[in-house]
Amino acid sequence: MQSAEEDCNAEVDPLAALLNDSVPKRRERIDRDGTYQAKGAFLRYNLLCNHFDQRQAHGVFETAGRLPSPAELTVWERQEDTEMDYGDLLAVFKPRHFCSVPPVGQGHTIFALSSGRGKCGVAVIRVSGPASAFCLCQLTRMKQGLPPPRTAVLHSISDPNSGELLDRGLLLWFPGSLPGLRPAEAGEFTRRAFQAGKLDLTEVEGLGDLIHAETEAQRRQALRQMAGDLGHLYQTWSHTLTRALAHLEAFIDFSEEENIEDGVLNQVDNFVRQLQMEIHSHLHDNRRGERLRSGVHVVIAGEANAGKSSLLNAICQRPAAIVSPIAGTTRDVVETALDIGGFPVLLSDTAGLRDTHDIIEKEGVRRTRERLEQADLTVALLDVVGLLEASNKLTHLLFSFLEDLNVRQKQQCILVLNKIDLLHKKELNDLHCALKKEEDLPTVCWLSCKTGSGIEEFLRVLRAELEILCGNPLLGMPSLTQARHRSHLHKCLEALGLYEYYKRADMALAAEGLRSALASLGRITGKVGAEEILNLIFRDFCIGK
Amino acid sequence: MLPRRFCHCHRARLQFLSTRLIGQNVSGDQYDVIVVGGGHAGTEAAAAAARGGAQTLLVTQKLSTIGTLSCNPSFGGIGKGHLVREVDALDGLCGRLCDQTGIHFKVLNRSKGPAVWGLRAQVDRLLYRSAMQREVCATALLNVREASVEDLMVEDPDASRPGLARVTGVRLGDGAIVLGRAVILTTGTFLSGSLKFGTSSVPGGRLGEAPSVGLSLSLSELGFTKGRLKTGTPPRIRKESVNFDKLEVHHGDERPVPFSFMNAEVAIEPSQQLLCHLTYTTPGVEDVVRDTLAANDHVQQDTKGPRYCPSIESKVLRFPGRAHQVWLEPEGLNSELIYPQGLSMTMPVEAQVALLRHIPGLEAADIAAAGYGVQYDYLDPRQLHPTLETRKVQGLFMAGQINGTTGYEEAAAQGIVAGINAFLHTRSLPPFTISRTEGYIGVLIDDLTSLGVTEPYRMFTSRAEFRTILRPDNADQRLTERAYHQTGCISGARVVTARHIASRLSEGISLLKSLCLSSYRWKQLLPEVGISQERSGHMSAFDVLQYRGVTLDALAAVFPQDLVPFLDLSDRIQVEALYEPHAEQQKLDMEQVRRDEQLVLPTDLDYLHLPASLSIEAREVLHRHRPPTIAAASRLPGVTPAAIMHLLYFLRASGQQKEAGGPLVER
Repeated sequence: MQSAEEDCNAEVDPLAALLNDSVPKRRERIDRDGTYQAKGAFLRYNLLCNHFDQRQAHGVFETAGRLPSPAELTVWERQEDTEMDYGDLLAVFKPRHFCSVPPVGQGHTIFALSSGRGKCGVAVIRVSGPASAFCLCQLTRMKQGLPPPRTAVLHSISDPNSGELLDRGLLLWFPGSLPGLRPAEAGEFTRRAFQAGKLDLTEVEGLGDLIHAETEAQRRQALRQMAGDLGHLYQTWSHTLTRALAHLEAFIDFSEEENIEDGVLNQVDNFVRQLQMEIHSHLHDNRRGERLRSGVHVVIAGEANAGKSSLLNAICQRPAAIVSPIAGTTRDVVETALDIGGFPVLLSDTAGLRDTHDIIEKEGVRRTRERLEQADLTVALLDVVGLLEASNKLTHLLFSFLEDLNVRQKQQCILVLNKIDLLHKKELNDLHCALKKEEDLPTVCWLSCKTGSGIEEFLRVLRAELEILCGNPLLGMPSLTQARHRSHLHKCLEALGLYEYYKRADMALAAEGLRSALASLGRITGKVGAEEILNLIFRDFCIGK
Repeated sequence: MLPRRFCHCHRARLQFLSTRLIGQNVSGDQYDVIVVGGGHAGTEAAAAAARGGAQTLLVTQKLSTIGTLSCNPSFGGIGKGHLVREVDALDGLCGRLCDQTGIHFKVLNRSKGPAVWGLRAQVDRLLYRSAMQREVCATALLNVREASVEDLMVEDPDASRPGLARVTGVRLGDGAIVLGRAVILTTGTFLSGSLKFGTSSVPGGRLGEAPSVGLSLSLSELGFTKGRLKTGTPPRIRKESVNFDKLEVHHGDERPVPFSFMNAEVAIEPSQQLLCHLTYTTPGVEDVVRDTLAANDHVQQDTKGPRYCPSIESKVLRFPGRAHQVWLEPEGLNSELIYPQGLSMTMPVEAQVALLRHIPGLEAADIAAAGYGVQYDYLDPRQLHPTLETRKVQGLFMAGQINGTTGYEEAAAQGIVAGINAFLHTRSLPPFTISRTEGYIGVLIDDLTSLGVTEPYRMFTSRAEFRTILRPDNADQRLTERAYHQTGCISGARVVTARHIASRLSEGISLLKSLCLSSYRWKQLLPEVGISQERSGHMSAFDVLQYRGVTLDALAAVFPQDLVPFLDLSDRIQVEALYEPHAEQQKLDMEQVRRDEQLVLPTDLDYLHLPASLSIEAREVLHRHRPPTIAAASRLPGVTPAAIMHLLYFLRASGQQKEAGGPLVER
């Protein structure tokens, strides 16, 4: 991080700003953080969080008060295949200061990311200067003061303002100067933790997700998985299943010569039923976890010239799609990755649905329909003027429109009525009243892409929908985050079915079902061997001839 | 290679064991294989080596104890019955002898599926022992000598094979030296054995028999790691003192199933089988155990005993407040004794009497011989190759309880493998091993040699990964033909029988598969069977056989001309049909295990300093166990799949990894 370090401007002390509650919240702040006081700080903050990405880069540009030029974007796009050179980015954007924070004490307190750049598993952040101790206390909320000098301490690092957990890390406190200290290599600590058996497989995956976490909600979920919530859940299942298998094996190996208690099989049945239910409901979380991990597919669709591209541009606050008054301007799917309220979103603008003889547009319409098939959330866009014209068969028109868009559940859709600026207040009110009566309609948003009125409200609705789709990662059962887990869990369920099928006919085959169910779970949590089964048998039963 | 048993001179055949035998004082006698011990491991080992064609000597402390059942008067059981079947498939003795001398046959687990059926028989102690002695006498090339073995003779190793020394023979108690190219130790509980009665302790391997102390010392000198285990045996009770009237009666099977593939039926008339009785402990038993605990050293000491065959003391201490089962088993047709299975105990004899008072039926029981405990040395079986040859001393094999196992069947299974391999060793032929994917014997030996033991090891069906394939019914098809080709320790009659069955089985199964009818027609023919309405198209008779309630007899009624000739195989065909749908997946899994078993790990790897990404825990476990293959390594607790991957990467990168029989080919 040489270049960035050089660029780190001395006048602004971003960390101090980050820590200073008295700094007034500013409009330029993006998202939940009150920290983006300057671009340099912003970049560093992102590095600190390990989730610097394009959208946030855009945030920088927007903070800078203008949109990036193509040349600047090229700088970004280099990051796609090679590593982003933050120094270059900073060079393009000479930092402009939105505020200046008075230096703390005599000298300046500076901080820098000392480890590898870009997405990496381990970040070493070096803070140096008179306010270092203060920073440390604020970030760690250590009550009992500073950790002992030169001793590594595992501690949570929290947002000093909200108190929310950002990450966990090792703290090393060196009073005085640090001549010649070389930070550890990236990845070294993680690898060691894994090999020392400190992390199980799900935890390692969680770490992978954390490294690649691009949005706030993703980061929170990754952190949660790493802390072992998901691992703990799978572990619990593995224990239940091991127990069930041990009881069945005991019944097979010992029941005729020993007095294995009656009802052992009923117990196995209960264990299995409970597992089936839990795994089933875990699998049917509507892909919440995976969605959070890979992004929610939001598709804007509607009739030609209803203003879909304008809406897309309004959402991402840049002219991502070409807009013109001519119907059929958008012929292909325009895709943008966005961070909306901390949730990763893949937003698609599509060609308007209409019958056409234009071959290219026809293909566009086909692609639109394909996109709608895969959509997690459809933003159905209508020209409110057209609605007014058809006011006598309003209901029919709306429902056939939604049906045309392949909307089967009202929860998967937001109905957006655009161009309200073209209507009189009374006309609007009448429509409002008419639509209110319809209970089966999805959430309706009234807006004008042209004037921007209603956009804020629409974004609020969109955020709320996203929250439902992704689940709040800090509440309830941990979500499934990996397709790999899903497939093993499916196999596990299938094998439990085999048990059900054979349990009264052939114990060996029924046990085979439990064994392979356990093997499937074991692919997530680690293997359970015959010896562990026997240990359980001898713990639970008195076997003795 | 053909068996050579028929073309050999009968050097020194035993006529009667009471007569004095061969070459008593001839020092410098030379044999191919010397077997030390005449228990279940020793007799199988000696007979197998002799069947192969090795000049074999069985050395035992007491000729009259050859083939003694030192503990329970029964063979087989769940998991153990599988072992007996496999020993029989390798042309072993115990299965055939049980069929001759059994007095109560019962297949356990009948309701749980043929893969876990447990063939079991009470046998007549005396009949079994004399049948075994006759068998040993009748085996060509097998000589017997009464002596104690005091020392092992070793020389410098054969440099072309791993090992620190090479065995050349044994020194007997009288100082005589007998030379042998291979030596098999099957000394059971006799290595520094000591018997425990209450607080007193007497050196001994079995009641009234001296322990082997010299041999134990010489094994220590050779650098073998030893451990100590304990076991126990119940008091023997006089039959006439037992009141059977109020006890639960258990009959033998109406149609006894023989252990041996060579026998169509057992010797005893089904109706002549003796009865077993079942009774339970009462709270008074617990009181006696607690009151006499101070006078019961065996229970107090922390030498490891078996968890699944514990003494009555440890049962009531670990699981208080329960009624524990006690099986009263007959010891023989003319025996006056009853064996109370489940009452193994080491308390002083007067306490044993007091304890029996609290068991229904045994209130007036008269003890003929008190129960006692045995503590003995075992050698860490991780020092063995899968052939049961020691890694340290070439030509030295170990089998049975000396390796930390318990049970006649486990001993016999190891004995036959050691015997076969000792013979192959003397002929410098490739070794014969059984994989976990081929038999319970493979599971047993792999568990022993890769994981070691922490308590006496007993076979359970739950130890076998491929349980639905490794069944008692197909042991002959799994093992006989291969063993015949690779060892020559299988008699001609045996392999002919196995081949005959194999060809008729496959003929019968393909015939059943070819008999196809529409499912509608099947429904008409077999209305009582729940063939699904929705099922359309044709079904073969083999498919139909998988339905519950369908028997080959029922199908033979439909196709009498085709199927009646196969009715004698109906049980076996039916089992094949039941498990066939699952065989495919199991075979894929077995293939994976077999591949891993082919990936041989160098024996000299320095796991502690290997430049591979391995956790400290994994390193230590690998260092301690020195698994012979990747398959064995992956079964070690603490070795994660990730560790296996790193190990493979390292071995591949460094070119150290060899497959059995050649360099590793990238898979």
